Amino acid sequence: MSMLAIGLLFAGVTLLFMMSGAPIAFALGAVAVVFMAFFMPAASLDTITQNVYEEMASITLLSIPLFILKGAAIGRSRAGQDLYAALHAWMSRVPGGLGIANVFACALFAAMAGSSPATCSAIGSAGIPEMRKRGYSPGFAAGIIAAGGTLGILLPPSITMILYAVAAEQSLGRLFLAGIGPGLLLVALFAAYAVMRYRREHRSAIAAHASHGTASAMLDVDTYTLRQKVEMLPRVLPFVILLIGVMIALYGGFATPSETAGLGALLALLLIAVVYGVWRVKDVAPILSATLKESTMLMFIIGMSLLFSYVMSYLHISQSMAQWIVALHLSKWLLLAAILLLVVVLGFFLPPVSIILMTAPIILPPLKAAGFDLIWFGVLMTIVMEAGLIHPPVGLNLFVIKNIAPDITLGQIIRGVIPFVGLMFVAVVLICLLPGIATALPDAVMGAVPGAR
Amino acid sequence: MSDPGGGLPHGAGADAALLAGGASLLPESAETGATPGIDPSTPRALLPLARALAAANRVMVGFGMLALLAASLVLTSSVVTRYLFKSSTDWQDETAVFLLVGATFLCGAFVQSIRGHVGIEAVSTLLSRKTDALRRIGVDLLCLAFCGLFAWKSWTLLHEAWVDKQTTSSSWAPPLWIPYLLMSLGMTLLSLQLIVHVAASVNRARAIAAGDR
Repeated sequence: MSMLAIGLLFAGVTLLFMMSGAPIAFALGAVAVVFMAFFMPAASLDTITQNVYEEMASITLLSIPLFILKGAAIGRSRAGQDLYAALHAWMSRVPGGLGIANVFACALFAAMAGSSPATCSAIGSAGIPEMRKRGYSPGFAAGIIAAGGTLGILLPPSITMILYAVAAEQSLGRLFLAGIGPGLLLVALFAAYAVMRYRREHRSAIAAHASHGTASAMLDVDTYTLRQKVEMLPRVLPFVILLIGVMIALYGGFATPSETAGLGALLALLLIAVVYGVWRVKDVAPILSATLKESTMLMFIIGMSLLFSYVMSYLHISQSMAQWIVALHLSKWLLLAAILLLVVVLGFFLPPVSIILMTAPIILPPLKAAGFDLIWFGVLMTIVMEAGLIHPPVGLNLFVIKNIAPDITLGQIIRGVIPFVGLMFVAVVLICLLPGIATALPDAVMGAVPGAR
Repeated sequence: MSDPGGGLPHGAGADAALLAGGASLLPESAETGATPGIDPSTPRALLPLARALAAANRVMVGFGMLALLAASLVLTSSVVTRYLFKSSTDWQDETAVFLLVGATFLCGAFVQSIRGHVGIEAVSTLLSRKTDALRRIGVDLLCLAFCGLFAWKSWTLLHEAWVDKQTTSSSWAPPLWIPYLLMSLGMTLLSLQLIVHVAASVNRARAIAAGDR
């Protein structure tokens, strides 16, 4: 059978199994097994378990359950509301400050919890009602939270980045650092947009007030005394300290990324025990079982995706695809655009985890051949997959928002989110034009990589 | 039935638990009186097996919880001992790997029991109820075939590792039968769980066919 025929058959069977609605993990595993049985030596079926075990038994991959535990611990405490209340108080003087407070709260929470949906839910459940009470339009309020929540997979520790680092064989510490600049860029873009949009809504509220006397809640001004503001701080500080402490442990050379995950999970559990009194078995067990549920599902997908990639590479499908892409001799930027487009399309159907593991062996060699820095590309790919979390038809965050604010229609949420998707692509373009946004920080902290751009 | 992740591919079902505030983590079954983790369409003959699996899954989740905590402690101790005694130790990483691999495989059946392994369910909305019921049987059979094969090959791997006294390649060199045993047990439980689910799906399809007549 020709390479092309095997490749097409492989793609067809994968599509069929995935679209059948079978769990992603088992669908990928079954594709791998079917092709092993027909196209690989008979003995290869005997090694599937060893294969999966050896791929999974990496402490870097297995830090994922611990990062999820850290996020679940923080996500289930009142930390989100407290963080939000404090930022709200401190930003109350700035025009559009409430919107900015929401963006900042999402970013900080995402960095602590590392989960996009958990961020949406923790900050959104306090932030969306508050913004709407202040006269923000429902779509705008939902958009801020949905977009802010996606910062979770860009700011460290990000599960998506762990997988990318493993798949692309890049330094995880470096990749984490490379996400910070673009993360801050997105925070700035989101906040700037929030202020612009606020001023527009504020102007129309004033106009409405002047023409028919209906005073919108947007025109109310509330003030906090300095005392109130200072009183808000103690509850937030422990978490900011956790965030900074983990960063220092990681980059001060005290701990490996996986040790950071263990340390972070333990500290998060200790903090919620001390600050919020969450320490009884009946309080902690739900956190642990939620973690197990999510991490087991993810680790199964990861293990089976790796088996899938192994078969794809054994049959030379990924290599041939990669060679074929290289042989097209696309210009550098056209190649990048085409690959990012592919990621966007896959983002319609697949979670970031599967996108990375399934496509990395195909798309990374051509990018490397074209001279792109793979750390830098990892950041771009992460932002594009982030956009996949909020754009229709299946953006997860949209449904999370729908869940916490059931009276906002999906249409309103989507219209509110679209400008933020646009901002993400603006960020992608900016990072292409100025790669330093991503690479300057890791180069400064860990030294420049010889040979990279 | 409760179908976490129904229609959404992005792990929504699993995340919902994280988001559900203080609520119980086991999703409430749609039908009243149904036990969490037991498909209400399970045929009567298989109910004892389904109940036994539900009990086993609760035990496995308990193990998983302890494993998560233990892995956090082990990795933290690794940082502390390196800092205090300036000694590098190699047992922590491997211990954490064994604990976390074990937790993952042992809890696989639990996640399946609440249908928490996320799939792309978009197509199910396009099909008639009857066709969709048939699709579910096919999907469950596919999963069972794969997991059954995987469980079988795990046991042969375990046997090999036991007979040849295989160890990991580190200097600490713990025996490999430990993680292989956990993998074999977990995949076997998962296969049993899938047998129950196949039977339940067949039962549901028959009920739908009978209802249409």
